[in-house]
Amino acid sequence: MRAAAHILAVTAVSLRSIPHRLGNSLVIVIGIASVVAVLISVLAMSAGFQRTVLGDARADRVIILTPGADSESSSSLSRENVAAIVAAPGMKKGADGKPIVSADVLLVAPVSRKSSGADAYITLRGVGEQYFQLRPELQIVSGRMFEPGLHELIVGAAAQAQFAGLETGNRVRLHDGDWTIVGVFTGGDSVRESEVVSDAQTVMSAYKLDTFNSVSARLANEGSLAILKDALNLQPGVSVKVLTEPEHLAIVSRSINRLLRIVAYAIGGIMAIGALFGALNTMYSAVAARTSEIATLRALGFDSSTVLVSILIEALLLAALGACIGIAVAYVAFDGNAISTLGGARWDSQVVYSLTITPALVAIATALACGIGLLGGLFPALRAARASVAESLRTA
Amino acid sequence: MTHRALAFMRLQPQFASPSSGHLSQPLGRIRRVKLLPLVWAGIWRKPARSIFTALSIAIAFVLIGLLQGVNAGFAQAIAAARRDFLTTNVRVRGSPPMPIAMMEQIRTVPGVVEVVQRAYFIGSYRPPYDVAALATEARRFFALRPALAVEAKYLDEMERVRTGLLATPALLRMYDWKVGDLVTLRSRALKRDGSGDWDFTVVGTFDSKDDPNTAALAVINYSYLEASRVADRGTVDLFIVRIDDPTRSVATAAAIDRLFANSAHETRTRSDQERAEASTKQMGDIAFFTNAILGAVLFALLLLTGNTMRQSVQERIPEFGVLKAMGFSSAQCFALALAEALAIYLLAALIGLALASILAPLGREVATSIAVSGDVVARAIALAVLLAFLSVVLPSWRVYRLSVIAALAARRA
Repeated sequence: MRAAAHILAVTAVSLRSIPHRLGNSLVIVIGIASVVAVLISVLAMSAGFQRTVLGDARADRVIILTPGADSESSSSLSRENVAAIVAAPGMKKGADGKPIVSADVLLVAPVSRKSSGADAYITLRGVGEQYFQLRPELQIVSGRMFEPGLHELIVGAAAQAQFAGLETGNRVRLHDGDWTIVGVFTGGDSVRESEVVSDAQTVMSAYKLDTFNSVSARLANEGSLAILKDALNLQPGVSVKVLTEPEHLAIVSRSINRLLRIVAYAIGGIMAIGALFGALNTMYSAVAARTSEIATLRALGFDSSTVLVSILIEALLLAALGACIGIAVAYVAFDGNAISTLGGARWDSQVVYSLTITPALVAIATALACGIGLLGGLFPALRAARASVAESLRTA
Repeated sequence: MTHRALAFMRLQPQFASPSSGHLSQPLGRIRRVKLLPLVWAGIWRKPARSIFTALSIAIAFVLIGLLQGVNAGFAQAIAAARRDFLTTNVRVRGSPPMPIAMMEQIRTVPGVVEVVQRAYFIGSYRPPYDVAALATEARRFFALRPALAVEAKYLDEMERVRTGLLATPALLRMYDWKVGDLVTLRSRALKRDGSGDWDFTVVGTFDSKDDPNTAALAVINYSYLEASRVADRGTVDLFIVRIDDPTRSVATAAAIDRLFANSAHETRTRSDQERAEASTKQMGDIAFFTNAILGAVLFALLLLTGNTMRQSVQERIPEFGVLKAMGFSSAQCFALALAEALAIYLLAALIGLALASILAPLGREVATSIAVSGDVVARAIALAVLLAFLSVVLPSWRVYRLSVIAALAARRA
């Protein structure tokens, strides 16, 4: 109790002297603020990507691909396979009694970035008539649905916001001529919002394609997955793999997520080391500037561990302040900013997502900042605690 | 007078006997070399501070080197790509492949020197992994792809053996193939006999010159693929074109595309350089982040060193007073402070850049090439000089205006 009161008193004294050595203390605060801001923004990319890609995943939806394929674009299903899948048991039926299934075909549509005008591609998805029943999270918010057989597209709101030439009424150049955008759909945080969608049969005949990329379906209930898998395995001439949507999306997003994390931690780590040296510098000179003050305190009877703890607390408080500033800067500057990178449903297509600062990221960044503060305060604190009182009073 | 200044003066002959009247002479003619020990003494005045400052600077320059290296890596790839090689693709991605007959039409375009076709063949030797092969006419193909190295005898073999296959060392290693082996690849592309098993003879090897031992790739004879396949007969995925005049790449590309405008197979022709540029832009909004991070690093760095220099100068005001009393001009005092900052900055920057170039190969892990090139180093050093200057200007202003009396009075009694 008494020790705590001592520590409090000594810390209060040292905190009150901060204004006299403001420049020094700012170094630790700003140094840590920049580390935290950088780390948290890059991690926010990864978090935003993850949220967008995994956001709409539902365990009661499955995606069916060719066995060797690890993504929709490397999978190819014949019409016969698709017919067998649609007839398989275990799928939820719609109001009209038909199973809720969509056989999709993936291509790319050329677009250009609004920001730089650079060329990019977004996924063009040809879908079956049940697509919007299968994905109730998607809503047409303006214009109308495409008409099968006509050269019509609907565009996701995220793609429309990020790329030029995707307004309703605009024409998009595809293989056999211009296609018209007739509507816009939203889908929460879904990766599907980065796509343009049309009727699968129309797209396939335009591109002279005879195979689909994937089939998605709603399951009737929890036991249906095993029933569906078994039925498809037993079917002669059909060779497919069935994945739940979360399984599939985790595989697809793994490599980009890994890349973003490596970048974040490599850059954040290097910056953290730099900030640590800055913190050591600050705390050493803080201790040096207060040599006589600390010696006086100890001469008055405060023991050296009190001095040590109070210096650590000071370093920690400065680091925490830096962390708050860094988080605030990153939040104001970047949270919710939409960017686009490779990573769409096709290997060469873009996905639009926004930077998302999550509580977990805030916790990671704060922990790192406190670690730097503690380590940066420890050695100077040890020096101050060990210095001889008489010597310090004499030289000062 | 502080003991360091005294020690310094003892070392220098012209200060040997302060009473001899030398001090009345202006010291402007002290040879610059003589300033070095003074700079050195200044740096080691507070060793911990100088070392920590230098380490922070070094770390910052590791990042500057790496991030600039990423940009330089892209720029190098673009600069290295040639403008006299064009590729002709289908205009809209995903469109059906182009008929090989288009090759003769492309040849007629003025400026076109050589054309070769390329089609993809995907098979698997050990499922589920695929072997990717380029079906082409090997001699012309390698002539038009100078980034690939191949021995002439293998090209002869490819002409002699219709089922010949050239594999990169990475591919040979992956499946333990040797030159002379017979290998069967199973493909979704069926042969006329209804089977998807394609027999090949490994007749040689080739590799990328810049990036050896990484890509697993094969080259096969287009004529063999064409004679046996059922689907997509008579088609290719890509034409590679060489033109005589690199400066006319845009015009020639446009002339090729005009040939096929409004046909069933509209094309898009681009030079290799244009393609490299486009694929860099494909990466997305990454550059924005590199710049934002660099900005944050530089800001923090300037603050840190600026503060250190301020402290260091402030603590030494009495010493500067002494130097001025001895006849050092304000400019010389400023030069002294600047020299100290420069020494710390340059040394630390060099250490940082050296570390960055050691770390650069790890960048392959994240799929970009990081080039800590001479250009990057030169720019980083210029930056170091600028930062050193900035960090010294403000604190030294006081030294500049300092009157000798005030400075000496700042000494503690």
